[in-house]
Amino acid sequence: MTTTNVLPMIKGVHDTPLEEYFTSGHRTCQGCESALVMKLMVKAAGPRTIVLGSTGCMYVANTTYYSTPWVVPWMHTQLGSSGSAATGTAAGLKALMSKGKIKEEPINVIAFCGDGGGADMGLSAISGALSHQGYNLLILMYDNESYANTDIQISGSSPWGANTTFTPPGKVHRIMNQRWKKNMAPMMAVGHPGVRYVATGCASYAVDMMNKVRKALNIGGPTFIHTYDPCPKGWDFDPMYSHEVGMLAVETGIWVQYEIEEGVLTLNGPSRMLAEGRRKRKPVFEFLKRQGRFAHFTDEDVDYFQSRIDEMWEKWWLPGIIPIAKEGGDLTMGPREVL
Amino acid sequence: MTTDVQSSLEREELISGSEAIAIACALADVDVITAYPIRPYDTVMQYVSKLVANGEMKCEYIVAESEHSQFEIIKHASAVGARVFSGSSGVGWFYAFEALAVTCGLRLPMVAMVGNRALDDPGAFGCEHNDALAVRDLGWMLNWVDTAQEALDTAFMAWRVAEDSRVFLPCAISTDGAFLTHSQQIVKIPDKSLVDEFLPPYDRGDLVLHPDNPITIAPQVNEDWLMEIRRQTDEGMRNARGVILEAHADLKRIFGRGGDNPFIEEYMCDDAEIVLVGMGTLSLPLRVTVRRLREQGRKVGFVRIKWFRPFPTQDLQETLSRFKAVGVIDRDYSLGAPNYAGVVYNEVRSALYDLPTRIPIAGFIAGLGGREVTIPMTIEMFDQVQKAADTGKVDEPLQWIGVRN
Amino acid sequence: MAVTAVEVIYRGIFQKSLSRNICRTIVLAARKEGKIGTAFGRYGDSPERNGIPAKYFAVIADEDEELQETLAQYEPKSVDVSIVVDDTLCKGVESWAWYGLQPINELTKEGGTLLVTSMLSSDDLMEDIHVSDVPYNLAIVKGAKSFSGLWVYKDDHTDVRILGALAKVCPQLLKLETYIDTIKEETDDDLKLQSTARSYDRVSVTPVEPGQGNPEEPFSFVKPGWEEMQNAIVVKGIEYGTGFRGGEEGFQATRNEYFKKYSTRTMRPVINFETCTKCTLCWIQCPDSCFDVTPEELYDADMEACCGCGVCEDVCPVPDCITMVNEEQFNDNASQYDHWKSDRDGYMKWLEEKIAVAKVEIGDAGRSHGFHQWGGYEQQIAITGVQDDD
Repeated sequence: MTTTNVLPMIKGVHDTPLEEYFTSGHRTCQGCESALVMKLMVKAAGPRTIVLGSTGCMYVANTTYYSTPWVVPWMHTQLGSSGSAATGTAAGLKALMSKGKIKEEPINVIAFCGDGGGADMGLSAISGALSHQGYNLLILMYDNESYANTDIQISGSSPWGANTTFTPPGKVHRIMNQRWKKNMAPMMAVGHPGVRYVATGCASYAVDMMNKVRKALNIGGPTFIHTYDPCPKGWDFDPMYSHEVGMLAVETGIWVQYEIEEGVLTLNGPSRMLAEGRRKRKPVFEFLKRQGRFAHFTDEDVDYFQSRIDEMWEKWWLPGIIPIAKEGGDLTMGPREVL
Repeated sequence: MTTDVQSSLEREELISGSEAIAIACALADVDVITAYPIRPYDTVMQYVSKLVANGEMKCEYIVAESEHSQFEIIKHASAVGARVFSGSSGVGWFYAFEALAVTCGLRLPMVAMVGNRALDDPGAFGCEHNDALAVRDLGWMLNWVDTAQEALDTAFMAWRVAEDSRVFLPCAISTDGAFLTHSQQIVKIPDKSLVDEFLPPYDRGDLVLHPDNPITIAPQVNEDWLMEIRRQTDEGMRNARGVILEAHADLKRIFGRGGDNPFIEEYMCDDAEIVLVGMGTLSLPLRVTVRRLREQGRKVGFVRIKWFRPFPTQDLQETLSRFKAVGVIDRDYSLGAPNYAGVVYNEVRSALYDLPTRIPIAGFIAGLGGREVTIPMTIEMFDQVQKAADTGKVDEPLQWIGVRN
Repeated sequence: MAVTAVEVIYRGIFQKSLSRNICRTIVLAARKEGKIGTAFGRYGDSPERNGIPAKYFAVIADEDEELQETLAQYEPKSVDVSIVVDDTLCKGVESWAWYGLQPINELTKEGGTLLVTSMLSSDDLMEDIHVSDVPYNLAIVKGAKSFSGLWVYKDDHTDVRILGALAKVCPQLLKLETYIDTIKEETDDDLKLQSTARSYDRVSVTPVEPGQGNPEEPFSFVKPGWEEMQNAIVVKGIEYGTGFRGGEEGFQATRNEYFKKYSTRTMRPVINFETCTKCTLCWIQCPDSCFDVTPEELYDADMEACCGCGVCEDVCPVPDCITMVNEEQFNDNASQYDHWKSDRDGYMKWLEEKIAVAKVEIGDAGRSHGFHQWGGYEQQIAITGVQDDD
């Protein structure tokens, strides 16, 4: 295995590197949190980095011909190929370095994908990448909870009941999306014993997110980060509130911030306080009511959503992470209704 | 002209076409190889893995979780400057189709072996050419070989031409399932020093993806750009012809092999009046048939197309214009195509359209699913072509040969 | 024999439903007068992005064959009426689907009309609208811009008020009664019908002479041919940044030279460098990396990169340190930091004026994007009343 960079942990906002490796030229929406994730990701990774971007908003809107925002080398890859792109790039570099065809040096390889490209189509390739321990690479899944680029269609990562162009609330069926969001990060951690670092993140907690990127790149081998990106377009809220909506997702317990390093789980920030009971979860309504995609919800829908979040914190064997009931417990496994 | 110097620099081995290409990978110092099992191409990877296991080849050898990843992985390895190799067969090749399509616009010199196999359904292991032919419009260079020796030599040609900056296009070497992937022949294997003389290192130049060369590759485009990009790729394919001629000249000089023309091979065509045209191991029964019919005094010959992309239009025009009638054998189908004929038939026919005199052309579909193309079948084809030559017209433009009624 | 073409230039997503409603109603109304028409969004603008300019068209003809003339091309090469539903677009249009800045009146034909919803006067708007070489009319429907989100539509009557005004400025297209009959079929809200008629009476029209308007040469981009373009779909990355203004201290990112965000903004941040606590949040949380870091670690928003999302204002912990102000209040993209450094008093006075304007707008909720919370639009409309010029 080639060596990895040693990127120091960022101690607070004033310790954040000034350099930007993702600047202007992208044509993403006003208040695009995923664009912020891209910026923080490469800010943390630094100049000796290659970024592979699979199809999605962060390709189509983010990187158009002659309008690239990337300072670091960047290459497109196919929707389901973030795993293969990372593996191929890392393998190519490793081969050329070990044969002395290029200079031996640590180069960060990061492949990103959206929730459609990651949790749906790219699952197989990401799983493959995470099983090849000889390559240093990070796969970052930016999750805006829909196929946002193609105009907001439901993905396996969309929340229950959300309005999307493929799941519109109708006269007969108010709730067209009866699926519960895929539990991606634990799936990657539990299913790939050789992976030394898996984390969830949110750009609303910028320093935490940048340090997670650095830990993933420092530790070596294949690693995985799942970020939660409020999407002003698809979730329908004022772009200026992207930051607040991300914090609300964490404070209501809908999104859990944690990292699994060398097999050791640590909850971070507000999520840790919620788990330790040092802070009370806000009602999910605080989160739902800010977004037009839930505007069709009735009180019953809100209560159901709340009950599933309560269950995840009170009944799961690993609260907020592993949906297996403690002994004697019971979980809601089926859909609320079948269309 | 092959001298003792050369013979001292080569050794003989009894190997299959797959094994020959695996050895070519070692001699070409390929950097990244990806494998995924499907018959019959997978034999090449069985040999590759042995070479790696025995330390006879140093490369990143990755067993992917699907054909799609197989080709995406080497695509990206190629972008950072690594020499790559992979392969597949039948529906496996189709599973990778997205990766195969995008590689051409990216101008990445992937080299692949296709062990030609029939497409499902039903599952069948036998040879058909539809798998490799499916990428013929996209910018892949395609060739068909008919011996293990040619498989070895063509592999060197493939990297040399694909990695030439005037071309920078992927290349697929088609080896007929079973005939080349599973049968062994005596092959002359050149010393590494000869291979190094023939094959320069892969230099991606200012297109390489590396922190020292911060570029953006394949940003999204709209209708303002794609035609220009397609035209650039088209230019690469146009350049390929000249680059193949250069490489072929060096192949003859350094290895003393390769024949007169890199694109097509004539067998007993000099004084022939009628010929059959085909690709790959169809040459095996045809060479025998041609000799037998010549013993009977019939002036017949066989023309084998070696490179299908770029298509040898002028070579075929010059050669085939000498004959009274031509028959084209397709080990493929193109259902609903002109005359319900195969792919090769219609390509040859359109190549001859501009000739001053219109030569009668008969089309034959044979050997599908790996069915044997027997000597009597090929004699029947020659008889049909002879009839066309005598009457000046073709009664049935397309016939299925060897299908049960 | 006549073909009439109308374009609606709008903010992606925020005004998608609004512009679609306008164009669909025109075509449906045309049927009532026995005409044939088509409504379509500019394909290159989709999928739309929040705030990025986009276009919708309605083309009406007497005969089907005439309509085919229009359908034979991607979009009309000239239009009778250019409807602009956000006055900040008068600075020009830089759609994400094309390169360079298009003057707002580029397609407006001789004698045609540029119809803008705005609280501003025609003189104010003409400061932004680029010079045209043909005479046309500038019509204003008085009102704040109407923004809503992808799923929830803010029905503040802006659509019907545009249609009422259209009947006035483009009488050859359709009669006011026809619009009203068509709207009636879609709503039983009499207030909407009144809004339509009132707008017909109150729309103000000013003739514009050739050469009148903003003389600035809009930045353009010449597309290279296939032999000049680099092979393998490769373009150069952005150059490394430097210290602030190229110096040793601070940081200034290099910006993309082909796509600027000038026309993406409806608001821009104004910054009080005196009260800034250097907490860094605006800089770290900006999705567009638009803040340059000055030697004293203040943060200067580069207007080439700012798309006006307002995140910086939301995350700033100091009251009024960052305030989002309507883009119409600005006539250049100069650095606020440079202004402050060269003339502190002058800058602080300028800043106060801008903030005062913003406060008024916040007061009538006129700057709101999208869906705030359940009932949010109803609350807004309750504050402002339906869009009207009473």
